[in-house]
Amino acid sequence: MKYSFIFLGILFGFLLSRAGATTFDNYAQLFLFQDFQLLWVILFAIIVGALGMLYFSRIGGLSLFGKEALTFDKKPMKAGLVKGSLLFGIGWGIAGSCPGTAPAMLGEGKIMAVFSIIGIAIGTYIYGYRASKIN
Amino acid sequence: MNSVVVWSGWVGGIAVGLYALFQFRLSNRQLGCSLAYGNIIGAGSKLSYFRTGHFAKLNNWRLWFIIGIPIGGFIAAASSPNAEIVATWSMGAVYDQVMPNSDWLKGLVVMFGGILMGYGARTAGGCTSGHVIAGCALLNPASLLAGGLFFVGGLMSVQFLFAVFL
Repeated sequence: MKYSFIFLGILFGFLLSRAGATTFDNYAQLFLFQDFQLLWVILFAIIVGALGMLYFSRIGGLSLFGKEALTFDKKPMKAGLVKGSLLFGIGWGIAGSCPGTAPAMLGEGKIMAVFSIIGIAIGTYIYGYRASKIN
Repeated sequence: MNSVVVWSGWVGGIAVGLYALFQFRLSNRQLGCSLAYGNIIGAGSKLSYFRTGHFAKLNNWRLWFIIGIPIGGFIAAASSPNAEIVATWSMGAVYDQVMPNSDWLKGLVVMFGGILMGYGARTAGGCTSGHVIAGCALLNPASLLAGGLFFVGGLMSVQFLFAVFL
């Protein structure tokens, strides 16, 4: 199953680009209230996703890969959720990209995405370092 | 310049939403990108955090998913009639007004933003794909709160950048 995710990644990266999520300026213009492209992308993705997940949860069924019963796990309310979300948002506005869109931007030839990707990896490492030392 | 084809926001949103559903129906795996950075950076680390929990197996679907994304971006640009595939240091007319003129300094600023995203995503438990697209679709209170605060944070930094450096 895991190898087929390279094709899913290709499809997702393609769609992020077509959705305008790989254009740095769309992030700045969203938070400057000049252009709402990404707001519509996010809102419609959530609406379609919510309807689909509701439908899947009603009909149940098995996943096509691996034949697992579909699980509707929700992410937990972590202790650091407020702090972490604000930090993420601040970084989002500065970098004009996010962990999913930066790799797609890289594929389009946008060099700044490399710095975003390296930064995300460093930030992930810092969290992992702190978490490893605390436990 | 990178004038890739961009669909109307609502069309793009429906497409991304359908994609997330397709992936879930196919694999029982909910959309998410930020953990994959731990699969990559964790491979070269001996820290216990990168060996347990989500990272018990580093060569998993998340790794292959994030390897696919740049290829999708490349195909999107290559299939745009007016786009040339050229490497560019530009972030676009809007960001370039407030970013340092030096490409490397600009890179440092963007990297700083990336560090905040990487640390913030792990602290919050997800990013724009995991918390916002997948999590909000489940009407999960934690994800709705995270998504709202992502926007608050983005508003803070962009408004600050354009108030101070424009």
